[in-house]
Amino acid sequence: MNNILVRHKWEPYLWLLPSIVLMTVFVVFPIAIVFQLSFSEISRSGLVGSFIGFRNFSDAIGDPSFGTVMMNTLYWVVSVVGLSTLLGFITAMVLNKKFVGRKIARSIVVFPWATSLVIQASVWNYIIKYEYGNLNNVLLNLGIIKDAVNWRASYQIEFMWECGIGIFVTIPFVTFCVLAGLQSIDAAYYEAATVDGAGFWKKLRHVTIPLVKPSLTVSTVLNIIYVFNSFPIIYTITKGAPANKTDTLVTYLYMLAFYDQKKGPATALSVIGFVILCIVAGVYMMITMRKEDEL
Amino acid sequence: MIGLSSRPSTKRNLTAVILCLTAAALMVVLLSLPLFHFQSVLFSKKSGNTFVGDERYIAASAEVTEAAAKYQAHQALGEVSITENVTERVNSKGETTSLVTFQVVLSSSRNGWQIMASSLPFGGILRCAMLLLVGALVLMGVSLSGGMLNESLRALPKWRKSLRGISCWMVLLSLALIPITAMNTIRVFEREIIFRLSTPEAAGLTELLRSADLFLYGGTAGEGVGDMLSGLTYSSTFALWAMIPVLFLILASMVTLCKGELKSTLASGALYLFVIALCVITLYPYYVMVITAFRENSEATDMYFTHMFPTKWIWSNLADITKRGVLGYLMNSLLLAGGATLIALVCGIPAAYAMARMRFAGKKGFLGFVIMSQMFAPVVLLVGISRLMNTLHLNDSLFGLMMVNAAFNQAFAIWLLRGTFVSISSEMEQAACIDGCNTVGALIHVLLPMSAPGIVTTLIFVFINAWNEYTISTVLISTPAKNPITVGITQFSSFNMIEWQYLFASSLLATIPVIIMFLFIEKHLVSGLTSGGVKG
Amino acid sequence: MKKLIALLVALVMVLSCASFALAEDITLDVIICQYGNNTNDWFLGTGMNGSNFVKLFEEANPGIKLNLQVVSWNDVHTEVSTRISNNNAPDILNIDSFTEYVADDLLMPVSDYCPEELYNDFFPSFIAESVVNDVVWAVPDLASARALYYNVGMFEEVGIEVPTTWAELRDAAQAIVDFYNGDVYPWGIDMTTDEGQAAFCYMAWSNNGGFVDADGNWTINSDENVAAIQNMVDLYKDGFTNPNPATQTRYDLQDMFGAGKLAMVIAPNSLPTYLAEKNYTDIKLATASIPHNDGAVSGSVGVMDRIMAFKDESAPDQAARNEAIGKFLSFFYDPANYVGWVSMEGFLPAVNSAVASLVEADPSFQAWLDVLAGCQFYPATKTEWNDVRVGIIDAEQRAINGEDVKTLLDALQATVAK
Repeated sequence: MNNILVRHKWEPYLWLLPSIVLMTVFVVFPIAIVFQLSFSEISRSGLVGSFIGFRNFSDAIGDPSFGTVMMNTLYWVVSVVGLSTLLGFITAMVLNKKFVGRKIARSIVVFPWATSLVIQASVWNYIIKYEYGNLNNVLLNLGIIKDAVNWRASYQIEFMWECGIGIFVTIPFVTFCVLAGLQSIDAAYYEAATVDGAGFWKKLRHVTIPLVKPSLTVSTVLNIIYVFNSFPIIYTITKGAPANKTDTLVTYLYMLAFYDQKKGPATALSVIGFVILCIVAGVYMMITMRKEDEL
Repeated sequence: MIGLSSRPSTKRNLTAVILCLTAAALMVVLLSLPLFHFQSVLFSKKSGNTFVGDERYIAASAEVTEAAAKYQAHQALGEVSITENVTERVNSKGETTSLVTFQVVLSSSRNGWQIMASSLPFGGILRCAMLLLVGALVLMGVSLSGGMLNESLRALPKWRKSLRGISCWMVLLSLALIPITAMNTIRVFEREIIFRLSTPEAAGLTELLRSADLFLYGGTAGEGVGDMLSGLTYSSTFALWAMIPVLFLILASMVTLCKGELKSTLASGALYLFVIALCVITLYPYYVMVITAFRENSEATDMYFTHMFPTKWIWSNLADITKRGVLGYLMNSLLLAGGATLIALVCGIPAAYAMARMRFAGKKGFLGFVIMSQMFAPVVLLVGISRLMNTLHLNDSLFGLMMVNAAFNQAFAIWLLRGTFVSISSEMEQAACIDGCNTVGALIHVLLPMSAPGIVTTLIFVFINAWNEYTISTVLISTPAKNPITVGITQFSSFNMIEWQYLFASSLLATIPVIIMFLFIEKHLVSGLTSGGVKG
Repeated sequence: MKKLIALLVALVMVLSCASFALAEDITLDVIICQYGNNTNDWFLGTGMNGSNFVKLFEEANPGIKLNLQVVSWNDVHTEVSTRISNNNAPDILNIDSFTEYVADDLLMPVSDYCPEELYNDFFPSFIAESVVNDVVWAVPDLASARALYYNVGMFEEVGIEVPTTWAELRDAAQAIVDFYNGDVYPWGIDMTTDEGQAAFCYMAWSNNGGFVDADGNWTINSDENVAAIQNMVDLYKDGFTNPNPATQTRYDLQDMFGAGKLAMVIAPNSLPTYLAEKNYTDIKLATASIPHNDGAVSGSVGVMDRIMAFKDESAPDQAARNEAIGKFLSFFYDPANYVGWVSMEGFLPAVNSAVASLVEADPSFQAWLDVLAGCQFYPATKTEWNDVRVGIIDAEQRAINGEDVKTLLDALQATVAK
């Protein structure tokens, strides 16, 4: 094993201490506060009152928008994580090939990652405006369309745009995780497969995917968490309008807390979201990592 | 030179040549078919409160018939007809109101030769495409002359080979020009003529109008061409789009003659197409950011903007935003992200080291703890974080913000660093330990230098996350001068109006440093992730 | 380990610094909302003749320091409520609503700090909009009145008159759609979370409807209100409005109006200033009253924001603090400063002393002041107001997506009247 000898039993914990202190103070305490708040009465202005049991939870779940929002969250997470993983994987496969300008292409692909989500969301919000948005302007000037198109004709389409932008900004992360995985694959595996007469799809199924799987697992777990908690895209573009039909859990609870002045149910929702995430990420990791000896 | 192996290639070459010539002949046919249908409204009259058969109707109708007669002169160029459209409505008071619209319409179509003869921009593009095609056919013919059809590719003289290569590229270009021709007709008619006719300033239009007059009305419209064109509708025909597969056939046959086989060429073509599309889509928002950042406010929200770039580059937008504190915000962001990165690494490296090199009870528990800490969105924790900061008296301080950012990035830092450490053999450290170096020394002097790529990657990750963080900063920082850039730019999207040009100019300033950083470490990024990520 | 210690030391240092910050000066925490591009500059930059409000105030009132923060409307509710949750409320707050703070007993009555002379200067009808339980809790900082603006050139071209009733509005809209083949939207509606409640008022108050009856009871599901929202929905369904009412804010509408894509829009008196600032120069506009339903009269809609002061039990000298807050208000409403503030973003004043010089600078102001005198305001003195505002916007957005108006309003009435 790759381990080094530890002289005292308590030594590893000493190494972990800074990290644990940092996270306990700045992450765990706030989480504890939120848990406590979710069982307390909170006034419109934000004053914290007494313990009221599960009333915040029942208020939150009883709201007619709750079902819509949960479905939206599901669509949002599944489509963004799923499609960005697929597209990121394809992009990584392509960028792993040798071609002229590969370095430039790789540098460009990483751009959306390097840009703040608030900024990306504002730019796209400007792009898809019907009246003066840049997409219409460019397509008209190139002669691809004859009349301006209302890119936001209904809330379903607006939600699709939001998912699309979510995918757009998530792809680079997946791409680079997969690229890292691809680069660590020994060329000998492919040579052996070629000798065995395996075609592209066979190599993909039996060599590439199994070997890239660890990277994919990590990127997927992290993406589920990030995408579930992603806030600026939806908040900038539709703010959940009309009537929470484009809200996900996080934007909904933000609006609930700071716009509708219902902080109690909002904190209850954040606890619910936390529990859902724990379950989903936990189950996913258990399924995909069952065979691995450590993590 | 005619060996056994060259026989199939001879047959293949012959098929290719025949295919090529057939397709070329087909092209000539397509060019003679109508490519576009045009309908120009020569004369139009709208008459409100007019009913079919009443006095006003008869008067208007007579006027229209007279106008139609006048325009019969154009008959030679197409068919002149009168259309009549009546809209009747019953209004809220029970009265019927009516709007009658009369139009005198000239319908005509133009084939490829007529388009190429025109001096309108798309005529030029089509001419170019066809010249390229003819050139390519000629070059290919030259390279094939003298019985070279039977020659195997390997034995082909170099100049003939390059002639074939050039002709392939020419056909490819010609192929690309066909959709551009179609797009350009829309651009010319919709944006440059009809659109500009309806806007007050229409400078530089005369030349274009004269060409359009020649093309559509044989030069007979003269002064009135503007009115006639402003009611123009048109559509492309099947023949225009059929040119694309035909040209593709020519391209395919030429590639076969040039490379000997088609499949790998097409595959690499598809690869480049994918990469180019990817880059275009990725760069598009940045293009929007750049052009909007240097436009005037009125131009940024102009609903009738007909250019792809600002008409005037307003560089002073940059000066304006610096007056509004953007440089200060950038400095804050730099400080914030730098500090957060430092703290995250200082806390994360020992933890990752312990995770990678030591055995202890509760290892899995710690990992679960780390992952759990990531599950809450900062937005959700706003109230909690802000309460905590209040108790610690870290409200409104960049230091507090640094700590929060560092804490929220611990999981990622530990995961990446642990992976990096695991991928490096511990033998060197063990050797160092035997030499009397302690564990800390082994870490600092042996392991850290070896894991530089992983550390750089981690550093960048944390830096970027902290640089881009928005929600916590909005709530924690109350002094405007302490705002990081992400919060600072919200002043440009105020209640009253969004100043897109300032918003994007400062967004640009906030994005460029990060992108430059990414460009420098792009190479390390993959290798850092390789060592960190793969071993999971 | 060393690093951890260093970290802890740094923490302790920060903690101790914070506790030393106590000085003899009174420091007032002030939160101001960002009304436009110039707000920040006026308070903190160089917008007041090269200087700014904070600097001039501190020069004029030695011993009082201002910790003034300009917050965008997007973030102000987040900021304030988070601070209240942390028992760290600002001393002076400029915002639209106030009842939630009254309900939690956080505010000081205006009489505690506002100088008599200044108090008498406010328009009495405005002061009445901030009374809960017979106590005045906030003072108005500015107001704006809404009117119908229409594109004169367009109306002449189509050959129609300005509509005065809902029926005429539909006729005019149909005529505009017919004439321009749908390229011009006749009527603008903003149902966004920004101002969807205003859209409701434009219709309901011109149909004898409204949020409350004469006794102050909620009457959200009245037939008049149902008809009002139904009218909006019908206009939208028939293609007479902007295409995306749920995401297009009033500023989007104003832009469309300036660009000649929208024929009519209801906007505040600052619209001409706005259009001029955005270079929409070739539009000829005029104002009219908002169209009403048969049997009702046109209602005018006023919007006002407020300034309020929070209690602070920990302040060592309450009297001195109250006096400092009073000084802040006196300085703010001093015509020498206030006139510039109001006219900068094209708003209407809330105090008598500012009227004279404003009318002198722009005679058209008087007409707006007259409109303002007859305006109705949101029932912001009622505790449930925010729920109603949010609920009515939600109902509008659901209604244009096909849900039944009556059912929606019944449900809203049931939740707020409970």
